[in-house]
Amino acid sequence: MNDDYLWDKTGQPDPQIQQLEEILGTLRYQPKPLAIPDDLRVPQRRNYLPLLAIAASVLLAIVAGGIWLRGRSRSEAPKIQAKVESPTPKPDVTPVLPEKKSAVNPPPVVAHNRRRNRSASSAVENKEALMAKEQLMLALRVTTQKLHLVHTKTSPANQIKNQHRVG
Amino acid sequence: MKPLFQTNIRTALTAFLLILAPALVANGQDSRIQMAGLDHLAAKASQTVDVNLDERLMRIAAKVLSDKDEDERDVKKLIAGLKGIYVKSFEFDTEGQYAAADVETIRTQLRAPGWSRLVNVTSRKQGMLEVYLLFNGEQVGGLAVLHTDDKELTVVNIVGPVDLDKLAKLEGQLGVPELGIESPKNKTKNDDEK
Repeated sequence: MNDDYLWDKTGQPDPQIQQLEEILGTLRYQPKPLAIPDDLRVPQRRNYLPLLAIAASVLLAIVAGGIWLRGRSRSEAPKIQAKVESPTPKPDVTPVLPEKKSAVNPPPVVAHNRRRNRSASSAVENKEALMAKEQLMLALRVTTQKLHLVHTKTSPANQIKNQHRVG
Repeated sequence: MKPLFQTNIRTALTAFLLILAPALVANGQDSRIQMAGLDHLAAKASQTVDVNLDERLMRIAAKVLSDKDEDERDVKKLIAGLKGIYVKSFEFDTEGQYAAADVETIRTQLRAPGWSRLVNVTSRKQGMLEVYLLFNGEQVGGLAVLHTDDKELTVVNIVGPVDLDKLAKLEGQLGVPELGIESPKNKTKNDDEK
């Protein structure tokens, strides 16, 4: 008997093998499109990872921004009064705090206390505004002084004077 | 196909950059000069002027500036669009109290893109005077004045759109003589007339 038929389908086949082939041939692979039944329900699983990543980065940015702004505002804390150190002593302008006032003279009625606090806070605000104004005027004075110096140095009259000196 | 992890990282990074980009751009265009490095000079100085006026304080100050007084009205107009005015001025009794490195910390910032030196005056008596302007396109976004002398170091920084016309209008009103400052626009006009 020749076994070649089993290897490469050449030669004389064995009748038993042929019979087996016929029986098993019905189960052979047959190419056809995948038919999904209509009633089949596949549970949909949404991928939340990108959304979570974006949310996390937004949160991180907000936190970082907050920390940065806090640090910046601390380092650049506005000074209420211009610091001018000069030999002449300055009068003490420490504002009277509303808490101190109430401690010295406690008001009997809550409404009066509130009114007093409000007026005290407006007085403090007013003082702050006046100090800011002083600071502003001082800054502008220094600026204009320096610009004036530049102007006098760059004015044609000054240049002619210098030329005469050189000459 | 790319792994899911890689895609997520990329998405997160893009989102993060998109959020931070406007803040970074805004920060880059700020004409504020950091002067904190000069604070140590206050201990050596005989006189120190330290003015830190941010936008909030200027708004507060503007409230008490009178509209009836002409000078104050002009100051109010000048500061209307400004974001801050910062001045540090140190006067010393003796020479050589500050180092060149102190001045360099300011000058380095003024070499940043956008800033251009408008005037540079050097004199034996009054030292070196430099005026810088920050341009945002054609608009002035800030002004800086640096005055270095043997016994003095002054830095002035105005943040925001400085109106040179309005600044020129202040000449002689704040206890200083007329400056004769002209805005570039007016200057060209005058030149044309000549």
